[in-house]
Amino acid sequence: MYSLVDVHKRYGLRTVALRKLNLDIRPGEFFVLYGPAGAGKSTILNLLAGLTRPTSGDVRRDGASITHLPPERRNAAMAFENYALYSHLTVAENLAFPLRAAGVRPAEIEVRVKSVAGVLGIPHVLDRRPGFLSGGQRQRVALGRAIIRPADIYLLDEPIGHLDAKLRHRMRAELKALAVDMKATIVFTTTSSKEALALGDRIGILNAGRLEQAGTAAELYDRPANTFVASFVGDPPMSFLNVSVRPAEGGPALVTGDGQSIGKAPSGALGRGGLKAGVRSTALTLVDPGTPGALAGQVEVVEHLGHSSIAVVLSGTDHIQVLLPADARLRPGERVGLRVDPTRLHIFADETALATDAA
Amino acid sequence: MQRKTSVVVEILRYGAIFLVLGFFVFPIFWMVLTSFKPEEAIMVSPPRFFFTPTTENYVHALHDKNFLFYIKNTLIISVISTAIVVAFGSLAAYSFARYNVGDGHILFFILSTKMMPAIAVILPYFLIFRDVGKTAVGKSLHLGLDQHGALIVSYVMFNLPFAIWLLVSFFQDIPRSLEHSARLDGLSRIQVLRRVTFPLAAPGIAVTAVFTLIFCWNEFLFAYILTRKAASTVTVGVESFFTLQGILWGPVAAAATISVAPMLIFVLVMQRYMVRGLTFGAVRG
Repeated sequence: MYSLVDVHKRYGLRTVALRKLNLDIRPGEFFVLYGPAGAGKSTILNLLAGLTRPTSGDVRRDGASITHLPPERRNAAMAFENYALYSHLTVAENLAFPLRAAGVRPAEIEVRVKSVAGVLGIPHVLDRRPGFLSGGQRQRVALGRAIIRPADIYLLDEPIGHLDAKLRHRMRAELKALAVDMKATIVFTTTSSKEALALGDRIGILNAGRLEQAGTAAELYDRPANTFVASFVGDPPMSFLNVSVRPAEGGPALVTGDGQSIGKAPSGALGRGGLKAGVRSTALTLVDPGTPGALAGQVEVVEHLGHSSIAVVLSGTDHIQVLLPADARLRPGERVGLRVDPTRLHIFADETALATDAA
Repeated sequence: MQRKTSVVVEILRYGAIFLVLGFFVFPIFWMVLTSFKPEEAIMVSPPRFFFTPTTENYVHALHDKNFLFYIKNTLIISVISTAIVVAFGSLAAYSFARYNVGDGHILFFILSTKMMPAIAVILPYFLIFRDVGKTAVGKSLHLGLDQHGALIVSYVMFNLPFAIWLLVSFFQDIPRSLEHSARLDGLSRIQVLRRVTFPLAAPGIAVTAVFTLIFCWNEFLFAYILTRKAASTVTVGVESFFTLQGILWGPVAAAATISVAPMLIFVLVMQRYMVRGLTFGAVRG
């Protein structure tokens, strides 16, 4: 198991890459680091690889500190975001490089290179130099060079981010199958939430150098720790309503900005101002306008996705995304009612962005 | 209409190319031509393009003046100087590029040694080499006046700053992740330098070697002041054709042609590496 313990990383005097970060990566798991650009994903990979050292805190492996272990003694394999291919070597030589460095016999190197090139769909470019490859091909060579030798941990920095959509889909499946095959510990970074959810056994969500939450896709989906996490998992993302607590018959209720009640207020929400109610598109049902107990709203935009559509409904001042069956015929401007499932509301105190335990 | 315009443009373009080319190539062409002219055809006006070629100038330069002796000296001095400059220059440039040694100040200081004209330091150099040449170390390293070592040291001193500056930018262009990747594959820092960084910097090193060699080969001032006969180089050799009886233009042209030839061959050989560097240099994009 790899652990980052209270890791703080600063570049220069001003730039803080990671803030007091704690993270465990379990043996054999496919761990995905998700976050926007500059969130600190690559820094974590570099720390695990030994390419950089934490400003404070510890990097551990099975409990023992490896903070000062140089990269060549960590048995880690890494695919770099900028590919880092050796332009003076052919693709085959690039793939063979880690094996040569490890002193593998030439005959075996050839077999392994061919097999990896086959898996990645690049056997026809083995004799070329990286300068003559497309971006997608280069990225696959970079990935191949990382997975060609057995390593204790594979660090993949956005390894399929530059592929076109179709190829990315295929590589995603290949990678997942490969991970299961190799029983390898993999840390993978991405800026795509779909990719994170599709690949990760567990996902760590990073934002501005902080680990917002780490867990399985289901955990992140069901119990998001804050609005940042909540808006990341799920497609369409969770919609947020600005709500406040008002006294009502049968206990305090959550009320939207224009006075519509959406359900009982949970005990944790009492006495707190500036609340947000997160609601997933699946927790909403479209009903006739004017239905009692339903939110009134007006359709703004309808996006057709093929198998379904997403309608953006303006209710008061809040925009709500609703998932609709493909045959739903809604037009912009139409008035609708939305029934909210009160048991599937996520309540956040918006300044601290913490879950306050939905009712 | 479109077609016609482009033909005119093409003609103008090639015209311009020939003009520029003529400007640069003509002196060399004239030098080679002169080297084959009999003496009476050289200084006539108007200049003659057609004449009966002769090899007497080459015989004079190579046999009577023993010009190959100067070539040999120049070769020894230039090649050794260039080797030292490239070896030390690459290592220094690498550390400047990767570790920002001295925060830019040392790099600037190195350049500042190039800010004075060579003529300003030639007298101190003369005195230093005169005295150093008398010491035991100076004797064993041939550092005295009219010895190869003195010129090699001078050329290294004068070319190293330029070489470092040229190489720093080449090393900066190699992404660190290439070295990182190799480290992760189990190579030590030194192995990474040998197997990844230097091969990738090869085009830059080739360019630097070419420039340095050309500078050393063509240098005149130091060679003229610091040597007399035993370690004289081609530029000094050619100068010796300026005799009291007059300038031997024919042999001068022949000697100059002989001096240019090795450089031309060397640059053509290195050009392959330099061009390859450009073609395969797409490290990033």
